[in-house]
Amino acid sequence: MHATVGLPRSLLFHKYHVLWETFFGALDVETVTSPQSNRAILARGIELAVDETCVPVKLFLGHVDALRDKADYILVPRIVTLAKDETACVKFLGAYDVARNSVPGIRLLEYNVDVKNGIRQRPELCRVGETFEPNRRKVRRAYDHAASEHLRYTARLDEQQEEVLARPGMKVLVVGHAYNLYDEMLGKPIVDFLGKNGVEVVSSEFHDTAKARTLAKLVSKDIPWTYNKELLGALESYRERVDGIIFLVTFPCGPDSLMTELCMRRVKGTPSIMLVLDELQSEAGLRTRLESFIDLIEAGKRRAAVDGAR
Amino acid sequence: MSTQLPASRPFKVSFPHMGNYSIPVRLLAEQLECEIVLPPKMTRRTLEVGARHSPEFVCIPFKYNLGNYIEALEKGANLLIQAGGGCRFGYYGEVQEAILRDLGYDFGMVRLLGGWKLRDHIGDFKRVNPRLTMLRALKAYKLALRQTQALDRIEDYVRRNAGFEVQDGAFEEVHEAFLGELDTARDMRTMAEIESRYLGELEAIPTERPDDLLRIGIVGELYVLMEPFSNLFVEKELAKRGVEVHRFVTVSNMVEHSGRKHTAHLDELIAKSGDYVRYHLGADGTESVSMTYQLMQQGFDGVLHLKPFGCMPEVNAMASLQRLSREHTFPILFISYDAQTSETGLKTRLDAFCDMLRMRKQRPGDAAMADGAETLAPGAERSTA
Ligand code: SF4
Repeated sequence: MHATVGLPRSLLFHKYHVLWETFFGALDVETVTSPQSNRAILARGIELAVDETCVPVKLFLGHVDALRDKADYILVPRIVTLAKDETACVKFLGAYDVARNSVPGIRLLEYNVDVKNGIRQRPELCRVGETFEPNRRKVRRAYDHAASEHLRYTARLDEQQEEVLARPGMKVLVVGHAYNLYDEMLGKPIVDFLGKNGVEVVSSEFHDTAKARTLAKLVSKDIPWTYNKELLGALESYRERVDGIIFLVTFPCGPDSLMTELCMRRVKGTPSIMLVLDELQSEAGLRTRLESFIDLIEAGKRRAAVDGAR
Repeated sequence: MSTQLPASRPFKVSFPHMGNYSIPVRLLAEQLECEIVLPPKMTRRTLEVGARHSPEFVCIPFKYNLGNYIEALEKGANLLIQAGGGCRFGYYGEVQEAILRDLGYDFGMVRLLGGWKLRDHIGDFKRVNPRLTMLRALKAYKLALRQTQALDRIEDYVRRNAGFEVQDGAFEEVHEAFLGELDTARDMRTMAEIESRYLGELEAIPTERPDDLLRIGIVGELYVLMEPFSNLFVEKELAKRGVEVHRFVTVSNMVEHSGRKHTAHLDELIAKSGDYVRYHLGADGTESVSMTYQLMQQGFDGVLHLKPFGCMPEVNAMASLQRLSREHTFPILFISYDAQTSETGLKTRLDAFCDMLRMRKQRPGDAAMADGAETLAPGAERSTA
């Protein structure tokens, strides 16, 4: 009998799916991933969530619910701190309890990462692994294998990003969390629209976390949120190599709205806009804004070319 | 930790309001040997100017703080202090500083990050006042803490009893006089004397406590709990409806559970949450759930849960609270505050809530809760009161 573990295609899935899939795969545990975000998932998430929950968490609850009868367990990490002096957004602290209290009839597997208080990912995820595999050495080996696959994968993403940056043509950096950027209903329509209009999209995925933290300091001394530091790292590292910046913020995300406020005030010289995505967003409205943003960048480029020719 | 001083002395120090805590904060600020410029009393304008220059959906304490700063700068302050607490408070300062600079103000700012411990901040303070010694700062800190405790004890008594005064305004009058005296106290003995004398005066106020009085606990996010202007004076409104009001989030309690004791405190809260919380939810979220559970067990009639609109830790807590309310048919009124929250709306909801609680008391276990359940059903609570 094979146990199955459900992976909600939301929040940290977009960062850690290679880690999770490889880990469980090595333990002969089948993983089931919820479908791409769609209207039904969002609608169910809205129904389950407290009104003021941010859109990514509403989607998360929808995805958890979508796995209800599809897997024996559903994996939900709880992330507090990945390093000293910083913290994850509060939604990652609460994700496990929120899912447990909001979605009836599910069995969750959680692992807790709180490095500041000495709780690290390896032993925690190994504890989860031991639910399925009593041989501890085998579990640890599975983890180490998964961790190196994860690193290899993210390094490849960073390389691809450099390739995009090296190409000619208009490039736009989209600053947003992976769970927004890669979500079928949130970031995907934007990325696709830009692509169709001949714009190369540079994402704010930036996996050299040590470097990201150093670079983030250039924009913000105090910002405490781990994943936002990575966004700022990407911003600092790419902004002079792109023609425009789009800040993608989901309603009503506090960390992102504060970060974006500061960025818009401090990052001068490159055209930038903020797009706020909510659950009612109209694609038409988005398109209009993106079109005029592209026009603005083109106009700027033309002007620069004329000035340069003089 | 981060300090930028104004270009030249004299420094004029200011800090945001929160309840009556400007009294102990002023005592602390005196050690900086600067002129102190209190922000003007909060008005609608404070919120308006604060909101106008804030990111649109940042939580409301940010907007109030910014409003306080702008009004203090207008009054001549040139050195602003921003302190910690909450889940984003630690990050407020940097963004507020950028906003105020872009508005053209010339000022310095001390951003206190990290804990409540003096040693974390003494370096910043010494830059403002080089004559400050650790010993002196410690002494001032202890005095301010004592003053805070006196303040919290008196206000706790007022909350529990003001609803039953025979003569309107009797409690408020004594409370005001107390604040005036406490503000001038500068040694332990005087503070203790003022506290016990005013407690005696409060106890002497004639009250009439009905048999069926309602006991309601207030839980939620710390700023809206402790700044009555921001919660539209919800405690006074409850008192008007003959309610004994209990609140546990106070600065004294926060200091008591800060630092090394913080983790143990959270563990205890989780242990007493009836399994509605297994991991800390962030900021005050765990406390909101655990206190609600404990109050329910103590036989309270209901709980008010207050939070700024979109406040993440409290939204986390609400998932637990809604389930608790459903499973135990325990009445909880959820109130969210944003810049548009109206007083009239709040009053209507409080009326309905108190009526429902009274009905439940008279006819325990029957249909009364069904009415109430409507206001309690998930999704029924609106974002603005
Ligand atoms: S605890 Fe709530 S109000 Fe306080 S900073 Fe966090 S989100 Fe804002």
